[in-house]
Amino acid sequence: MSMSESGGITVVRFDGNLDTNTAPEAQERFDELAGQGVGKVLVDFERLDYISSAGLRVLLATAKKLRSGGGNLRLCNLNETVAEVFEISGFSTIFAVFPTEVEALEGF
Amino acid sequence: MIELGTIWGGAEGAVRDARRKVRVTLERLTADDMVASRIASVTSQLFRALDRGAEPGRIDVRLDDAGAVPMLVLDLVGAGDELDDAVAEPFFDRISKVLVDGEPGVRLGLYLDLAVASALSERRIAEMRAVIEQKGRDALMQELTVKNRELQESFDNLRRTTTAKERMESELNIGRDIQMSMLPLKFPPFPHRTDFAVFATLEPAREVGGDFYDFFLIDEDRFCFCVGDVSGKGVPAALLMAVTKTLIKSRATNDFSPASILTHVNDEISENNESAMFVTLWLGILDVSSGDLVYTNAGHNPPYLKRAGGELVRLDERHGPVVGAVDGLVYSEGSGQLSGGDVLFLYTDGVTEAMDPAGRLYDEDRLVSLLQSTDFGSVDEVVKASTDDVWRFQAEAEQADDVTVLAVEFIGRARGVGDLHVLDLGIPNRLEEIDTVNRAFDEFAAERGLSERVRRSMKLVFDDLLNNVMSYAYEDEADHEIQVHVELSSDRLAVRISDDGRPFNPFGRTAPDTALTLEQREIGGLGIHLVQNLMDEASYTRRTDRNVVVLVKYLSDNAEE
Repeated sequence: MSMSESGGITVVRFDGNLDTNTAPEAQERFDELAGQGVGKVLVDFERLDYISSAGLRVLLATAKKLRSGGGNLRLCNLNETVAEVFEISGFSTIFAVFPTEVEALEGF
Repeated sequence: MIELGTIWGGAEGAVRDARRKVRVTLERLTADDMVASRIASVTSQLFRALDRGAEPGRIDVRLDDAGAVPMLVLDLVGAGDELDDAVAEPFFDRISKVLVDGEPGVRLGLYLDLAVASALSERRIAEMRAVIEQKGRDALMQELTVKNRELQESFDNLRRTTTAKERMESELNIGRDIQMSMLPLKFPPFPHRTDFAVFATLEPAREVGGDFYDFFLIDEDRFCFCVGDVSGKGVPAALLMAVTKTLIKSRATNDFSPASILTHVNDEISENNESAMFVTLWLGILDVSSGDLVYTNAGHNPPYLKRAGGELVRLDERHGPVVGAVDGLVYSEGSGQLSGGDVLFLYTDGVTEAMDPAGRLYDEDRLVSLLQSTDFGSVDEVVKASTDDVWRFQAEAEQADDVTVLAVEFIGRARGVGDLHVLDLGIPNRLEEIDTVNRAFDEFAAERGLSERVRRSMKLVFDDLLNNVMSYAYEDEADHEIQVHVELSSDRLAVRISDDGRPFNPFGRTAPDTALTLEQREIGGLGIHLVQNLMDEASYTRRTDRNVVVLVKYLSDNAEE
């Protein structure tokens, strides 16, 4: 998991898995971001292998926190399995999902 | 409208049986064991009032899927008292009076959770039908009692019409007919199968003995077979034989563990076993794709395994006492691996206790030397060679007991056609160990060229299910082993996860509402919902003292990627 910031948007890149064992750290990092008052967060899943419900829980909690502070969360580069998981869980309708980072940054 | 079947009353114990069937059906439909249990209580209470022995009551069970919300409909019909259906009010959404075939009854309707109902597959429905149509032990006993009475009547007729000698012959023939009519006698029984072979024979003694054998395919790969000997003789023994055989077969359709099957059969038979009869049983399940054999010996003669290389092995483990003697005990099981050409030889004590004219026993040593010396060409040959040897030994002496022999040969499948790749892991119940499974699976998937999509789905499934087990199954702080077994064939990936935690059905809960907004969404049950949707089959069973989850993913579209 790495982060960079440009033009007021924090881009978070995942590497590997977002699951039972990696979710606690991810949650901590996101909480730090929200705590610093960061508003716009883009999560890039290009290098994510899979996400389980533990990972979905982190995204949901983070999105709720950002919104309550007037911020927003966008997602991009979902692989086929991650996209399927988003469909099944209904997350594709509650999150702003974009095919690429460029498209996600547009108008953010 | 989906008809699920009819639960019949009339027999002793029928109300209890009805309660169980309603409960199991509701467990599947509501995914809430507590609710299922309460509704089953109320239903059986009403049913008890209208079920009369001579005029049996009935419960027609169906799913009404015509409306916006699917509904479970139970029609309780019977000649009994006017029903006080007020007791049902707190539990059902719709209660009305109905006339079914001219008989008055009450119709109970229960709205189902949409998510549960929409996830109902043909297979789940078939399972529910099987539960509803399953005959209880009491119903079976009653049916057999009726048959027994019919037989008695024909005995009486014979007594009046024939001479003493003819009569005795006829009675013996009838007894033999009951026994033989229960055995599969057509050989080869599965002519299209080239991966295994089976042959059996049962030569009854002059009196009706209690031997029996049975075999059947549980599914494409699992072959179940058994040999047993019922204590006592005559028609009572034949009836217990029929009950045992039926209980085994009905249990084996959804339980693939010999120990678990015999544990349940034993409970059924030993409950109210006033006649104190019992059965010695040896039951095995052979996976004819892999050669894996699991078996339970309940007080039966240990069988022999003749390896393709010639070695003769006595399977002398015993996993519990005879069936029907002690209520509530748990049988264990043994396992082994068969290779192509290995033959299992099962027999009853009629073989080893056959007597020659001088009163000497055939005994096991003689059997062993025969099995050692003979090079079996086929299962037919080994069965015939052994029984011929018994007849030669017995010569003109009278046959004292039934002689039964059953042989199974594992042949296996040609490599490449049914090529099976297996991954077996045992991990301690610590969350970080999920990574161990996922790393091993990644390696397995890479070696076997599994598609990215299936590989990723499977890893997610491992993460969610193992997390679930580790977080909820254990009530102590001790270490527990969780077993993960993966089987990959050309068209499917099958995974079995088992743990020794408290009984817990991960699929027994309501699916989350995935249509809510971000603010409304809670995360609960989402992992299981993902598992059920990503896999083609997901099922749970309690096997003796373990929770077993089986998942299947078909790989038919694998080639497209």
